[in-house]
Amino acid sequence: MSRQHWLSLSPVLLVMLLMTLGTLLFAVGQSLGYAPQYGINHFPTLRYYELLVAQPSVAMSLGLTLYYAVVATFLALVMGFLLAMALLRVGRHHQWLHYVYKFPLMVPYLVGIALVIVLFGQGGLMARLSYALGWIDRPDDFAALLYSHYGWGIILVYLWKQVPFMALSIYVVLLGIPEQTQDAARLLGASRWQRWRYVVVPQVMPGILSAVLICFAFNVGAFEAPFILGGGFPDTLPVLAWRLFTDPDYGQRLSGMAVLVTMGAMLLVTVWVASLLSRRANRWQRISA
Amino acid sequence: MNLLRNALVLTGLLSGSLIAATPTDQIAFRTAFLDGQLPWESVSTAARSEGAIDFYYWGGDDRLNVWLERTVAPDLEKLGVTLRPHRITATSDVVDLVLTEARAGKGLGQGSVDAIWVNGENFYTLAQQDLLFGSFAQKLPNATWFDWDENSAGGSLNLYDFGYPTQGREMPWSGEQYVCAVNRSLMAEAETPHTFAELERWLEANPGTFTYVKPPHYLGNTFVQEALYEMSPEGAQGFQQPLDSFTPESLARLLAPGMAYLKRIAPLLAQARNGIPRYPENESALMQLFQNSQTAMECQFGLYHVATKRASGQMPDNTEEIIFPRHNMIKNKNYLVIPSNAPHPAAALVFTNYMSSVAAQKSKLAAVGYPLGLDLWMLSAADQAAMVEAMPPHFGVTQAALDSHIAPDTHASLVRVIESLWQSVVLQGSETPIATLVEQAMSQSK
Amino acid sequence: MKGVSHNGKALLVGVGLYIVILGPIIPVIIQSFAFQWHWPDLLPRVWWWSVRADSTFPLAWDYVLSPYSHVFEAAGNTLFISLSVTLLALILCLPAARVLVSPHFKWKTQILSLFTLPLIVPEMALALAFLAVFIPLGLAGTYTGIIVAHLIPVLPYMMRVLVSVYQGLNPAVVEQAQLLGASRWQRLVHITIPLLLPGILAGCLFTLLVSSNIFLITFLVGQGRVETLPTLLFSKIGGGALDATAAGLTLIAMIPGFILLLATERHIRDYQRVGAVGRSIDGSHR
Repeated sequence: MSRQHWLSLSPVLLVMLLMTLGTLLFAVGQSLGYAPQYGINHFPTLRYYELLVAQPSVAMSLGLTLYYAVVATFLALVMGFLLAMALLRVGRHHQWLHYVYKFPLMVPYLVGIALVIVLFGQGGLMARLSYALGWIDRPDDFAALLYSHYGWGIILVYLWKQVPFMALSIYVVLLGIPEQTQDAARLLGASRWQRWRYVVVPQVMPGILSAVLICFAFNVGAFEAPFILGGGFPDTLPVLAWRLFTDPDYGQRLSGMAVLVTMGAMLLVTVWVASLLSRRANRWQRISA
Repeated sequence: MNLLRNALVLTGLLSGSLIAATPTDQIAFRTAFLDGQLPWESVSTAARSEGAIDFYYWGGDDRLNVWLERTVAPDLEKLGVTLRPHRITATSDVVDLVLTEARAGKGLGQGSVDAIWVNGENFYTLAQQDLLFGSFAQKLPNATWFDWDENSAGGSLNLYDFGYPTQGREMPWSGEQYVCAVNRSLMAEAETPHTFAELERWLEANPGTFTYVKPPHYLGNTFVQEALYEMSPEGAQGFQQPLDSFTPESLARLLAPGMAYLKRIAPLLAQARNGIPRYPENESALMQLFQNSQTAMECQFGLYHVATKRASGQMPDNTEEIIFPRHNMIKNKNYLVIPSNAPHPAAALVFTNYMSSVAAQKSKLAAVGYPLGLDLWMLSAADQAAMVEAMPPHFGVTQAALDSHIAPDTHASLVRVIESLWQSVVLQGSETPIATLVEQAMSQSK
Repeated sequence: MKGVSHNGKALLVGVGLYIVILGPIIPVIIQSFAFQWHWPDLLPRVWWWSVRADSTFPLAWDYVLSPYSHVFEAAGNTLFISLSVTLLALILCLPAARVLVSPHFKWKTQILSLFTLPLIVPEMALALAFLAVFIPLGLAGTYTGIIVAHLIPVLPYMMRVLVSVYQGLNPAVVEQAQLLGASRWQRLVHITIPLLLPGILAGCLFTLLVSSNIFLITFLVGQGRVETLPTLLFSKIGGGALDATAAGLTLIAMIPGFILLLATERHIRDYQRVGAVGRSIDGSHR
């Protein structure tokens, strides 16, 4: 029985192990100085990490990356939650609403970027409307939402794509809560807040947490939006990695890999800690209940 | 078992004869061609049996894209060669591809790139890494339309690419001149800057109305080079020597005034008052700023770019070209190069020969608006007249004025140092002494 | 009374959603028909159709819909790659998912967490590592290379959907059929497959969606030799500017999304009642 199990599993496991763990090993090896294809082999060395730490701009890159990721994920969660509640209230009578909001999920991020360029650039439609209304005199007077550090352009793209994603994840989770548990809690005399805190939240938390983590990890690793709409030097970490990787000096590629390995490690630890915390919270809840 | 082996050998033979050339054949072909022992008919025949060519080029110009597929592809098809145009966003990516494939042991006939549109730094890299097919240019039938006299001004443009000898390892196919244009509704005739010093004065009075493409994009590099020329007491001439003829101190002396100038104007560039100056990543972003009246002036390669962009609605109708900077407008040529591991070398030769024909050059001039790669004075009087007829118009300046203010490119070996210096000094605002930065950059480029 | 307030709320939410989600598409449509649309005009001064007859060069939609824009080629490539990826992912995941839900199998949690790795590791790290490994293997710049590379971001979604599909399958129904004397083949064709089909379709739609929206992996592994709709769009708007042809391409790049939206919506509606697919819909975020 067990052998048959592994037989069915092996193809997909092989692909995953080779291509995910394999590439991870490869990336780690390269960041530690093993790159014979560029004629470089200093394995093992930490010099590429030391080079990064030595540059003050890398700290700002990290700050920018985390800023975009945290702000966008948090706003997407809040707005997604509100949207999910609204959808729940509206119910299934209005099918078209359930179509419309999912549209951004279905298109590449680049489409969202195009929309933001046309609307929020300094020569974009919003700036022109502000000019028509007499609020500004020159394109420069319009807030620099794009091509600037900590600009809202990147966050707007993330929100356009991810609020629907959060809303959908939360909506489905909320739908999945059986009415009876709430009714039962009410019969047992639980207040509205208590029902929310002890019945709804524990049931929706795992689903929401996984959606939040997926968004966060994606936003940290995203390339297109910060590359196109960012302020240039210092870039976010993935863009920095890309610039290092396309540098004619091959030694820079190893630094690029070091950037990526650092990011990957950060994300894995974040996810691991988050899932640990959520498991502990769950257990605690079960005991206290 | 035996049967299987026989079958395998048989298929190997069959497919071998179908592919027509094994690597050893191709090396023999290259040697024969470069030694001038192969009649052009044999090259055409070999090209027909190869059947295709993989051409890699910067695909950001729709006009060029259309011309290649509408005009070039059918013409080549008549010669038995299918054009496979590959549009790329940065030429250095293909150079990298060639290099990686060569490192992986792929020789002539085994790579994936037959021809690349290059000049300057990228050609220099290919040459330094010994990745070139060989000195083929003068051996092409259409080489007669080019001036190969090293001592004439026109000839040196064919033989020196950013000051680096081409030795016929690339074929000129287009000329270029770095030209600036202004929006006349934002900048009056009398205010027009003609020097970098005048530009600085204009920017002080009108901050935020200008910017240039971000180096290491070649459009940005060229702007930086022109500024360096004007600010250095030695002018353009100081930048024609290879890197190894400089000491870190002498190079720092050469570059310091220009870098200081660029750092000085950075807070006066577009969007700078919002915190950081905006250096657009490429030509289309530069154009967007100009269209939106955010900038009053823009600079890019393109002797006829104002004519073509007015025609396609990308520039306001009152856009005019200007002479800027006086006596330092960089003029160069760009080329087609064949890498040493080209999969279809004969087809690549046929392709480059076609591109340098009078007919193709004229059609490119008219349809794309790229200046001639060949040299006008080498043509018959009738062809010369036809070419002049096909030239797009100028606005606000004459061809003669543009011709009288040209300067040569910077030596290719200096470009990387200048790029990295711009990154540290201008973009990152480094306070490190320029001599130290130059020394670092020089040690990296070795 | 309740119905009215419901309608009111629905109207409010609906109008808001339309403005925020679909509203921004309108200026892109205008831009795609513009010839000269310069600051500070709210509408183009010169439209494309008024100059197209005089131009020797295909402008705006004339360019986008011409073979020179490569848009049809890119659309074909996008479709071919995402269909191949989906098929491969299905073949790989179907037997594996069945094993994972089996009560005798102990490693389910560990294996499923292995499958979340690609969602966490930065896409750039995957893409650059694939590229470095694929070049010596001759897979860089080929369809095969891209398809294999796409598998990694796609497998987590396919796996999760299929696992939840199998979990939703009631073994009692199959057992009943067995008791009634149905052969193994009959049970498969008449019971298992019809029960699984909606779920499998949903999984396929998600993978199609994820694969057809991938940019970075295609861009790096494809080395500019294989164009898809996202890479084509990037080459147009990568500099941060949007001209008429870029706007046209943006609109075309939305079409697969519209089609998939209609398709998913039909299938997911029934399927959602089964519950537990919430996370499988994560697929649509890429």
